Amino acid sequence: MSIELKNEHGTIDMTNDVIAQVVGEAAIECYGIVGMASQHQIRDGLTEILRKENFARGVIVRKEGDAFHIDMYVVVSYGTKITEVAYQVQSKVQYTVKKMLGLTVSSVNIFVQGVRVTNV
Amino acid sequence: MSSINGLQFAKMVEMGSHHLHQNADYVDSLNVFPVPDGDTGTNMNLSMTSGAKETTLHAQNHIGLTAQAFSKGLLMGARGNSGVILSQLFRGFSKRIESKAQVSVQQFAEALQYGVETAYKAVMKPVEGTILTVAKDAATAAVSHIDKAEDLTDLMEVIVEEARASLKRTPDLLPVLKEVGVVDSGGQGLVYVYEGFLACLKGEDLPEKTVMHSMDDLVNTEHHRSVQGFMNTEDIIFGYCTEFMVKLDSDKLLDMPFDEEKFRQELSELGDSLLVISDEEVVKVHIHTEEPGDALSYGQKYGALTKMKIENMREQHSEIMDRELTNAAPEQHKYAIVTVSMGSGIAELLKSIGASAVIEGGQTMNPSTEDIVKAIQEIGAEKVLILPNNKNIIMAAEQAAEVLDIEAMVVPTKSVPEGLAAILAFNPEATVEKNAQVMQEAASSIKTGQVTNAVRDTSIDGVSIRKDDFMGIAEGKITSSEPSLEAVTKRLVSSMIGEDDEIVTIIYGEDVTEDDAQEISAYIEQQFDHVDVELYAGKQPLYPYILSVE
Repeated sequence: MSIELKNEHGTIDMTNDVIAQVVGEAAIECYGIVGMASQHQIRDGLTEILRKENFARGVIVRKEGDAFHIDMYVVVSYGTKITEVAYQVQSKVQYTVKKMLGLTVSSVNIFVQGVRVTNV
Repeated sequence: MSSINGLQFAKMVEMGSHHLHQNADYVDSLNVFPVPDGDTGTNMNLSMTSGAKETTLHAQNHIGLTAQAFSKGLLMGARGNSGVILSQLFRGFSKRIESKAQVSVQQFAEALQYGVETAYKAVMKPVEGTILTVAKDAATAAVSHIDKAEDLTDLMEVIVEEARASLKRTPDLLPVLKEVGVVDSGGQGLVYVYEGFLACLKGEDLPEKTVMHSMDDLVNTEHHRSVQGFMNTEDIIFGYCTEFMVKLDSDKLLDMPFDEEKFRQELSELGDSLLVISDEEVVKVHIHTEEPGDALSYGQKYGALTKMKIENMREQHSEIMDRELTNAAPEQHKYAIVTVSMGSGIAELLKSIGASAVIEGGQTMNPSTEDIVKAIQEIGAEKVLILPNNKNIIMAAEQAAEVLDIEAMVVPTKSVPEGLAAILAFNPEATVEKNAQVMQEAASSIKTGQVTNAVRDTSIDGVSIRKDDFMGIAEGKITSSEPSLEAVTKRLVSSMIGEDDEIVTIIYGEDVTEDDAQEISAYIEQQFDHVDVELYAGKQPLYPYILSVE
């Protein structure tokens, strides 16, 4: 699926992959995020962290009417305040998508798929 | 002081929290990253306050337990990116000393270092030039100072000093800070916390809010926010950035006492991005307004004006826009792609997607090595990639690449569609070798088909062919032969489209009318609903249809 925008000059199509890449990059820069995870961890056989080229498996863009929704699947670091980290991701993703793609996202839904415990 | 206990540590925390609290507004004003929403100071302050509250509540002689309380309070109250990072820094710190009743200079430095390591582990992609960098540099300085440190106060001095120095370097590490002209907000917050620690150890009082020096930073962030908001110069409503200071005049103040709130209120009617900072003697004002004169006259009611600066923001803005446009202008042909094809339509198509020169040639009229060399020399390129687009021209192209004394490589494309796919994969930033490799991969990812007519009766690859029949060739192999051009083309395409294919590109030749081509296109789209068809007039001879499937 792709997102189509219309303006007076014509249309702009952005594939899901592009949006996933932008969203994923923004998310992994957030403090407390260890990485992106797959939506269907068992089916995809990817129990761990997604590599860049697979971000689309963990970022789902939905369009309902005129509103865009993003569902994203992340792994956070143990010992952080997870709700706050998730909130930071929401705000960073909304900001980045607005800035880079010019899209206003109605909701960013975070699914914490895992907690990575480091040896501390 | 060579070691500290829990009660002393609790005091340090309290002082750090207090100092941060005092300066939270200033920290807010620096906030441009990751999201310029101006809340870093507020968030850090809330986090730190929660930490300090928990520490005071559970303060005891045992420093390990006191620090644990601090860490827990920070975690519970963590707000914002910097708040979460702060909580991680001290989670590691407290973990390291959890069993200690007292902490020595060395242990304190090591605990800081451990805190930094913990904080770095919690992020996939640490962004440097932030609070993380400041914490890291300060801890590194502390550890290397262990042997020289006279006591904890001395160590803390080194920490604060390095934290400040590191903070100053943040704009070099994080471009957005440099662009706006501020230091990192979270880093600044951490410096305040450390300064609080130091003041406590020294038994000094901290200066109350530092006011005047912060105006420049405030102005910078305010500008950053407004610049981001404008796409077009015409959108600027308040065109003049006006800054001035008023030296409050005691005579004038007799009839008109200065009230900052009122002053701000009345000025705000003249424009936006208003900043007012005052102490007993001077008022500093920054405003974006369409009537700079009115703002100045208003200020003058309270005293003499100094340090006035008025700038036309529309001019500045269009200059920035112009500069961005000029920067975007492409470099001339230093890096060229030279390719070979038949038909003016195909040549145009190739050029439109990035070929620098197209040499006329192909089946039955192969260009010579010399033709290729000449074409490249005419462009005057420094680096060149050659796409022969035909099996029989690859040799000539490779010879040409050897003869040339510039960097040249051949991407052995065997057909026009392969050439098109290869050009689309070209990256002007990459090296010639890298491009050759990536373009070759792109070329081999597509399937090419061609339709041409037979010049004599024969049998090839198990297909019997009669003179003047049309042959369908998929990937260089003849797959079908029929008297009807339309039938053979449809059969060829149908046999080539697989389940994962999405796009069929059809380039029709000079002997085919657009209507005929349209019909084929419509047929494909009808038969395979997951496929899109792109149609181009290639005007090539000999091959009525050249097509690719990908």
